[in-house]
Amino acid sequence: MRDVYYPDIAVIEGIRNETGDVKTLTMRFKDPGIQENLTYRPGQFFEVSIFGIGEMPISITSTPSRKGFFELSIKNVGLVSGALHSLSSGAEVGIRGPFGNGFPYEGVFGKNLLFVGGGIGLAPLRSLINNVLDNHDNFGSVIILYGSRTPGDLVFRDEFKVWEDQPDVTMLVTVDRGDEKWTGNVGVVTTLFPKVKIESQKTVAFVCGPPVMIPFVIKDLLKLGFTEDTIISTLERHMKCGVGKCGHCCIGHKYVCLDGPVFSYREMRAMTE
Amino acid sequence: MSRYEEDLWIITRDNLLALMDVFIKTREVIAPVQGHGGEVIFYPIESIEDVAWDWQYVNAILPPKRFFLPQTEVMFEYGYDNGFKITPRYDDRARMIFGIRPCDVNALIFLDRFFGGGSLSKKSPDEEPFFPDSHYIRRRANTFIIAFGCHQPGENCFCVCCDAGPFLEEDYDLQLTSMNGEYAVEVGSARGLKIIYGNEHFFRMASTGEVEALGRIKKDALNKFADTCAYVSKAIRRVTEGKVDDCLWEKLGERCLDCGGCSYVCPTCCCYNIVDIPLSDKSGIRTRTWDSCAFSGFTRIAGGEIQRSDKKDRLKRRFFHKLSYQYIEKNKRHGCVGCGRCITTCLADISMPSVVEAIRKQEVIVQATRTLRHKEEI
Repeated sequence: MRDVYYPDIAVIEGIRNETGDVKTLTMRFKDPGIQENLTYRPGQFFEVSIFGIGEMPISITSTPSRKGFFELSIKNVGLVSGALHSLSSGAEVGIRGPFGNGFPYEGVFGKNLLFVGGGIGLAPLRSLINNVLDNHDNFGSVIILYGSRTPGDLVFRDEFKVWEDQPDVTMLVTVDRGDEKWTGNVGVVTTLFPKVKIESQKTVAFVCGPPVMIPFVIKDLLKLGFTEDTIISTLERHMKCGVGKCGHCCIGHKYVCLDGPVFSYREMRAMTE
Repeated sequence: MSRYEEDLWIITRDNLLALMDVFIKTREVIAPVQGHGGEVIFYPIESIEDVAWDWQYVNAILPPKRFFLPQTEVMFEYGYDNGFKITPRYDDRARMIFGIRPCDVNALIFLDRFFGGGSLSKKSPDEEPFFPDSHYIRRRANTFIIAFGCHQPGENCFCVCCDAGPFLEEDYDLQLTSMNGEYAVEVGSARGLKIIYGNEHFFRMASTGEVEALGRIKKDALNKFADTCAYVSKAIRRVTEGKVDDCLWEKLGERCLDCGGCSYVCPTCCCYNIVDIPLSDKSGIRTRTWDSCAFSGFTRIAGGEIQRSDKKDRLKRRFFHKLSYQYIEKNKRHGCVGCGRCITTCLADISMPSVVEAIRKQEVIVQATRTLRHKEEI
């Protein structure tokens, strides 16, 4: 009986500073057998341990279609994330997982995909975006709409051009407030909707971002003709065990770590408390 | 009659004492003992003299869940020596719980399903454990259950209303019911049968008259429990259908003290927190400790925001979890066994019967006393 509370050890191989408070860590399991057998779905998360300090759930931002490593993007907001930010290449952390349900993947074959991201919310979406683009034959067109508060808060900037350069991919970026160097769009992410042609009947929308952004984006998506089943988002809760036992992430009948963190808008509306 | 074995056995009190002596030598025996304040608690015993007998107590003030999900438990140790090494810590000691009541056993069965072990005597094929909790399961697997059936309700008991007593039908090793100065012994599992066959000289088969006598005792007991009904099923319906007004939780929340006592004494509550404790700069332990959804910090996320910051939301959550039908589907029973400990413990009278009554009557009634029986007199 595998002990789900028992972390495996992973080593940090690379650190990229995305913004002032976000770092992307490229990691590899110390045991090559574990790394080789690693499978996960975009939208799933790992429980990352800094022994002696604690553990935190982090969405996997790399795509399972690229092997030999995995990536986590971490915003410095608390004890464990702060400790992760202080680590250097070669440091070891504990990893449990992958946990969670993941984004629908096979279920959206043949569809056009619309990604709407805000701030660090682009991190879990990136896993799905890259997985889709690595297998683009299975999907229709891809539109990525991304916004953050300031240009300094945009994450994965090096990848924007890689995505835009791919056939049948449109990407638009905006910031709430520009700076002297910013020449792109200014405004909240919903201001990007009128700038792209979206065929809502053929499209599934994936939305990830700060809580304040989600209701406005969903409202606009519904106006564009999306349904409660074609709007997919994620929920965040305080988590401890990651396996549906400690009770912290439970909402109504759902455990965000087991039945989520990915939920359709219909599922979110059905939550009873 | 017992589910596993049709035969009924009888053991005299002296033989039972002698049998317990045998067990004390081979495994840790946890039994009800009289504490300093006169209250009864479950505690490991050195000698059978320490035991409080079934007529001397209704139930221990704390549930026996702490022997399977300790209040604080080390999950693993970690050490750093040119790389991290982790050593899980399990408790596989052979133990026995003697004198546990049917309500508490039903609570353990509820926890079995939740923690992924399934019922130990019956595992249905669709009950695949999603993520089994190895710590709980291993403690549970190595512990015998010898229960005492209940002849009459205690002051705060309402197990019949919760389908959790006063006698067990299944999922136990042995169930003893006091009868004419001796004990009727029902066998609930293969392990229970082995206990009897391994110690045959202490037991004798029951006569037909004795089998009938036990039937009468059980019927009598059920009659005595008849007016302990707390109408839990009505509350289950209302909660499941979402027909409970929020202002009810608001009123109840106004007097909740956030002490978490309800969660601590409830035999089915099992939420926990996980805390890493460094013991040196290169080693330490990961522990888990009891937690309560009634605490304000239960849903605090990094950055400080609390997602259920209103007390009314936390109370609504707690009773939704205990009563709603979807959880009954998941765990095959609802989260209350009618042991009555919350009635004794909650200083603000937000016990299960009080809440159920409030849900039924759609209004909150403040009770001056903290016993179920006296409520009708007020």
